[in-house]
Amino acid sequence: MNTQDQHHRGLLRPRLVAAAGAAALTLTAGLATPLNPAPHQAQAKENKKVLTVAVAQSVDSLSPFLASRLVSTSIHRLMYEYLTNYDPADNHAIPGLATKWEPSADKLTWTYTIRSNSKWSDGQQATAEDAAWTFNKMMTDEGAATANGSFVGNFKKVTAPSATKLVIELKKPQATMAALDVPIVPKHVWEKVGDFTKFNNDKQFPIVGNGPFILTDYKPDSYVRLKPNKSFWRGAPKFDELVFKYYKDGDAAVAALQKGEVSFVSGLTPAQSTALKSQQNIKVNDAPGRRFYALATNPGAQAKNGKKFGDGAESLLDQKVRQALFLAIDRKTLIDKVFQGHAVEGEGYIPPRFSTYFWKPEASQQLTYDPARAAKLLDEAGYKKNGDGKRVEKNGKPINYRVLCHATDPNDKAVGQYLKEWYGKLGIGVTLNCLDNVTDPWLAGTYDLAFDGWSVNPDPDFVLSIHTCGALPATPKDTGATDNFICDKKYDELYDQQLAEYDTAKRADIVKQMESRLYDTGYMNVMAYPNAVEAYRTDQIKSIETMPKAAGNIYGQDGYWSWWSAVPAGSSGESSDSSSSTGVIIGIVAGVLVLAGIGAFFAMRRRSTAEDRE
Amino acid sequence: MTTTESDGPMTTESTAASKGGPATARSPRALAWQRRRHSAARFWKQYRTHHAGVFGLAALGLCALIALTAPLTVGSDVQSVTDAPGDPMESPSTEFPLGTDQFGRNLLGLVVWGARVSLLVGLLAAVLSVAIGALIGITAGHFKGWYATVMMRITDWFLVMPTLVLAIALATVMSRSLGTIILAIGVTTWPTTARLVRAQTLAVESRPYIERAKALGGGHWHIMTRHVLPNVMPLVLAQTTLIISSAILAEATLAFLGLGDPTVVSWGGLLQDAREAGAVSAGKWWYLVPPGVAIAVVALAFTLCGRAVESVLNPKLGVAR
Repeated sequence: MNTQDQHHRGLLRPRLVAAAGAAALTLTAGLATPLNPAPHQAQAKENKKVLTVAVAQSVDSLSPFLASRLVSTSIHRLMYEYLTNYDPADNHAIPGLATKWEPSADKLTWTYTIRSNSKWSDGQQATAEDAAWTFNKMMTDEGAATANGSFVGNFKKVTAPSATKLVIELKKPQATMAALDVPIVPKHVWEKVGDFTKFNNDKQFPIVGNGPFILTDYKPDSYVRLKPNKSFWRGAPKFDELVFKYYKDGDAAVAALQKGEVSFVSGLTPAQSTALKSQQNIKVNDAPGRRFYALATNPGAQAKNGKKFGDGAESLLDQKVRQALFLAIDRKTLIDKVFQGHAVEGEGYIPPRFSTYFWKPEASQQLTYDPARAAKLLDEAGYKKNGDGKRVEKNGKPINYRVLCHATDPNDKAVGQYLKEWYGKLGIGVTLNCLDNVTDPWLAGTYDLAFDGWSVNPDPDFVLSIHTCGALPATPKDTGATDNFICDKKYDELYDQQLAEYDTAKRADIVKQMESRLYDTGYMNVMAYPNAVEAYRTDQIKSIETMPKAAGNIYGQDGYWSWWSAVPAGSSGESSDSSSSTGVIIGIVAGVLVLAGIGAFFAMRRRSTAEDRE
Repeated sequence: MTTTESDGPMTTESTAASKGGPATARSPRALAWQRRRHSAARFWKQYRTHHAGVFGLAALGLCALIALTAPLTVGSDVQSVTDAPGDPMESPSTEFPLGTDQFGRNLLGLVVWGARVSLLVGLLAAVLSVAIGALIGITAGHFKGWYATVMMRITDWFLVMPTLVLAIALATVMSRSLGTIILAIGVTTWPTTARLVRAQTLAVESRPYIERAKALGGGHWHIMTRHVLPNVMPLVLAQTTLIISSAILAEATLAFLGLGDPTVVSWGGLLQDAREAGAVSAGKWWYLVPPGVAIAVVALAFTLCGRAVESVLNPKLGVAR
């Protein structure tokens, strides 16, 4: 399963248009939700332990066949069981829906044993037939392959000889067979679905699933509500309810955490984490993240049919120019000033947390901060300064790069300001184009540089696959799995090799060669690996599992460990009821204040005109 | 062409009476200028009696001075993030009287530098808004008929649209730049001006001398520019001063909502930076208070001036004084 942090992809939905308005009304949203009567019907029950998680990213789709954003894929982990899961301690593959899996001698036929103690929430047994149907659907229906198609591209045939036996036959060896991050859906529910590209799985609640939680209610950009699956085979979760509540504004979420209205907040800024560290009943978790934060280059957008589109700058097609752009960025300053130490300096494509696949550039190829060398490279490439001190494109126009940035991400804007000055000194202009919805220009290739970031799975196949030629869109009108239209022969050869390599050490070696190749091309400038900085209330959550166990993150794990393992604190049971009334009180007080203000204003106005008339 | 010049309804007859004097040697143009000088002097005399207005003017003068001399006092280097002198979010000290921002830049310098953008956007947006409003108001009041009906329905439509929502929509669709912000504020705030100006135009055009001008062959252009415009000018002036303050607030609001150009330092932008960096929940008040106070002071100063100008110039309010 791909897990995307940024908003740059996913299917286009009218909801995105409303995002600006939603962002504008952030503060009211914070107040409106507790005032909404519907979510609180259940709270009449005494001592109900609710785990409330503040989230900001919109759900792109609740259909596992379409979802690619981090929030959606994390929720799918809770709703559906996957064939295998990752061990929370060291990320090795452990049983999920499958209890064991083994390849044939030629490694082309894999047999999975499906557990017999997993039931769908409507009472039916979860069987190998469900898994076979899910994979077959993705292999035969293009619409169902939107999100996770890369996993089944190499499948020849998937069958279920019995209720507990699943057989997958491959065309070529595939190294990811124990890490198929695909949610298995119930056949008896999903076979009624017509068009998979349109079905978002958000009409009928509760949604039938077999994961540790069952999704009971969802309102876009408002909340996602789940209840524990009491008959979950690994053991039922301890909380009585799990709610993902929307706070589009980071500071509002932190205020809610301080008041106890939410139990957990992720994505803290350095100032917020410092402030929260000194507070009682709040624990701040600052761990190495599984994300990279990069500046992607538009390599000249193209489709599989060879058609070029978009309007990326001509000069970026030159490798020397791209490397000069690398050399002009002082990553250390970004870590010190923007992330204030809550990140690790970027090097290779895969974060150091995944030590098997982590790669560092050799001293000879390393492109560290060196503006003089950058200027020299640009001169060599023929992009010389004109009379005004600006470098010019081959057509004589001054170079000015449009940098696509996420208006919702403060880091993008902050780093953007540094870029503007660093590139400005080189004689290159920068226009920061910060949008709430960067999807449209991204897919159309109408940008020069763009802020980019992906969460990396323990198995790196997915994040590597998005830079292959095979991921390009079929025609300029289609949406491909590609990240930024990279298509490089040498990289593709290495990709195929690593996918077919079963030996971990050998595969890691090939993956590192791929990272080296990607670094040299200069398409993806990985600037930092941001930490996961998150906080939770210790008077609501007694304990919660991080992944990996030592110095790991809580939000956006490769599994359901955090929310499944969370233990409620004490049995005082004050939390959520008092919080909802706090919301109501704040709302009422604010309303009264506004009315009083308006009244005073009109009274003053009336008096002033009366005076004037005298 | 020097026909009926008038600087306001109340000035027309009185000047001729009081300062009739030795008019024999003077050209009509010199007379007109003399009359204008006198009415300006009287305007100032009346304006001075409004203490709040004088206070507002003084505050504005100070702000304008600070903004205009900013390149000399703080210099454009204050915006630079790469040469930021301090650490992120330092509290106020002798070196940084208002502390530093998230990049370690001097906040006092930023607030001073931000005044340039905030005042510029406020002024330009207000001028644009009043220009559109005056144009539509005068033409609608002059031409009447179907043209006026169509124009006034459009005005009504803009009047009932929530200004902020419309401005957000405009700013979202267009590219992020100062021009966009000015345009977004300008094209959403003109309807009240249009309504006011139209009413005044109708009142002026019903006077007999307009009929006389028409009888003497005055065309549409002549009537509108020579007779109507000078008479609605006081109203337009007062309206401009009042709209500037709301335009400055609107600019701050849009920047605060993240719709401004993030690389341009403005007061609203500083507030937005502070919010995004988590300064509110972290209790870093020095990041929030200075730009907030600056916005409040300038908006208040313009309002005070506007009110004073309005009560001096508006014949309905000023008769008894």
